[in-house]
Amino acid sequence: MSNTTTTTNTPARSWTGRGLARERWHGYLFLAPTLLFLAAVIVLPLFHAFWTSFQRIRGLNSTFIGFANYVRVLEDEAFWHSLRVSLAFVSVSVVAHVLLGLLLALALNKITFARTALRVLFLTPWMVAAAVGATIWLWLLEPQFGVLNYILLSVGIISAPVAWLGTPGTAFAAVTTVEIWRGVPFIMLLTLAGLQTIPAEQYEAAEIDGATSWQKFRHITLPNLKYLLVVASTLDIINVVRHYDIIGIMTGGGPAGATEVLPALLYNTAFRANRFGEAAAIGVLLLSMVLIFAAMYLRITRVGQEDDRR
Amino acid sequence: MSRNALLAAVAVIALAGPAAAQNRVTIQWQTPNLTEAQYEPIWKQTIAEFEAANPDVKVEPILVARRDHWTKFVASAQARQAPCIVAVDLTTAAAEGYLRPMDDLWAKEPASFRDAWAPEMLSAAKWEGKLYGLPNWGGTYAEVYNRELVEKAGLDPKNPPKTWDEYLRWSKALTGPDRWATSILGGKTDTTTRVLLTWIWGNGGEAFNADMTEATFAKNPKSLEAIKFYLGLFTKEGVASPAPTTTNYLEQTVLFAQGKIATMRNAYWSIAKVIGDNPAIEGKMFVAPMPSNIPNAPTLASVSAHSISQSCRYPEQAWRFIKFDMDKKWAIERAVKANWMPLRRDLVNEPELKADPMLAEFVRIGANARSYPLPHPAWADIAVNDIVDAVQKALLEPARTDEIFRDLDARVTRKLRQ
Repeated sequence: MSNTTTTTNTPARSWTGRGLARERWHGYLFLAPTLLFLAAVIVLPLFHAFWTSFQRIRGLNSTFIGFANYVRVLEDEAFWHSLRVSLAFVSVSVVAHVLLGLLLALALNKITFARTALRVLFLTPWMVAAAVGATIWLWLLEPQFGVLNYILLSVGIISAPVAWLGTPGTAFAAVTTVEIWRGVPFIMLLTLAGLQTIPAEQYEAAEIDGATSWQKFRHITLPNLKYLLVVASTLDIINVVRHYDIIGIMTGGGPAGATEVLPALLYNTAFRANRFGEAAAIGVLLLSMVLIFAAMYLRITRVGQEDDRR
Repeated sequence: MSRNALLAAVAVIALAGPAAAQNRVTIQWQTPNLTEAQYEPIWKQTIAEFEAANPDVKVEPILVARRDHWTKFVASAQARQAPCIVAVDLTTAAAEGYLRPMDDLWAKEPASFRDAWAPEMLSAAKWEGKLYGLPNWGGTYAEVYNRELVEKAGLDPKNPPKTWDEYLRWSKALTGPDRWATSILGGKTDTTTRVLLTWIWGNGGEAFNADMTEATFAKNPKSLEAIKFYLGLFTKEGVASPAPTTTNYLEQTVLFAQGKIATMRNAYWSIAKVIGDNPAIEGKMFVAPMPSNIPNAPTLASVSAHSISQSCRYPEQAWRFIKFDMDKKWAIERAVKANWMPLRRDLVNEPELKADPMLAEFVRIGANARSYPLPHPAWADIAVNDIVDAVQKALLEPARTDEIFRDLDARVTRKLRQ
């Protein structure tokens, strides 16, 4: 009713009308501070990174060299090694995030005792700053004085201190474990929210039909969560592929490059090797990878929205 | 005093105060050592006394962890906002254009001040003939022993090992359950490189040719032999503490302070760090020249210099602070309390310095030392990335040591010639 009244009081005008054209500019004016801010903190640095990737930087002097940095990066085995490490790191982390996040969410959705306290407890790793969490783990895993070795030695699981961050296999496992520890709560939170939107009637009907727990999970829970899990996984990939903090603090990419994911290679190239042009080229290549996943995310969400409308 | 006179005085003070504050300039000071506990009281006192004597200058210390020191400096230098006074890898920073030549400021000083630095010491702070820093403190590397552990192993502290054979014999005697003779440094800092160089030089080897255009870690048989012996203390002999690929200065000194290792190759400043970690160890250490396979083997002397950044807007005030910080008083304070060896040659006979037998021994050992970092613009990259990566790989795959260091030679030689 109120819409009708408004239409009656305000004569319909096209967007080409002078009044509305002015209103449209008012809209842009209101948006201007935000757009300027975003341009300053995102667009300009992005262009600067692109520009830097075409330069040979020597301290405060730079020379335009076209695509030479890209050629050098792509010819360097270190880049391909880092790409392989990144792919392994992201794959293991994301799969574990989703599986453990789903399991925890299912458990928390069932539990009625101390539900809020448990949710807060499981969220703690995600709430702690990554740098702080990584530093805590660094000391827990310390070979001589670390708590983990102390416990394992005490119960006789190991006979000598293990250098968790000192060999390629254990170092990769350690940083991936910490990444999993930190990333599971995010997926758990999303999945828990998704679980609570599944209509209880579907489970009730399945129970009447005599469905087992597994059948209910397979035919009700999973189909209802499918869209959410795909979106969460894609977001998680975008998130994990950019991560540097945990690896930067715990191993710096070592030992012998075993944990040197692309962001670590970027950092080491820029700040240890002082080759900013090459580092910017690595950054642009990394951004391209992230953009592919971002495009996937946008496509998935658009399809999801269209499904909802139907 | 009449009421008008009182009001006038208050007005003058009120106006003069802000005016003086407006004329006061702030200069920033960043060195990797400002965060070290043993140095903190000294630098705080230095700043307080400097500001009292120079009311027009405020010194703002930039506290940054050692591992982030270079990153922060480079980021701020790229933004043309670097702290005025810095202590960084001088050759690399000068070649990158991050530092301001100091020759004009140096030339204005009287001969009495300039004579305090030996020409060879100043040459360590030069790049392409220009002075980019004033050497402030240094550290000569030597072998530090835990006297109690040495005696407990039935060894004689008065006769420390002079050769590698003797060192290995000692190492085996000093190794026991949950205790090792020493630590191999293989963590991702340039301390790994420093210690490796001392072993190479101690065997008569060279890591580079004379004009630093070629790396010879594998090419020089003496160098490769030294590398294998040193890393073999862990991989072959089992006399070094576990996890060498993650062991840096910090871990090494903690292990020594806790009595987990009996000897460490380190500079004088490690003594203060170890005592800070475990006060009970004070007076239970002794220092000796590094065992070597050649007579009169040189050790490594790390030189830290104060430089002025290219983006410093107040070089005259920065120079004033540098001179103040170079004063005898602070050099002695740093030597006695923080264990940093002074580099002014006119301090050699200072009674406070001569009274410390351990410092005297470090000074004696340092009489035959090569200065560090090595003079090449790519040095920071080579020292922290290439050499450390090779050491880590060789520790993980000892059978491939020859191949790993041949690859290192090729990689580093390319960088040296770029």
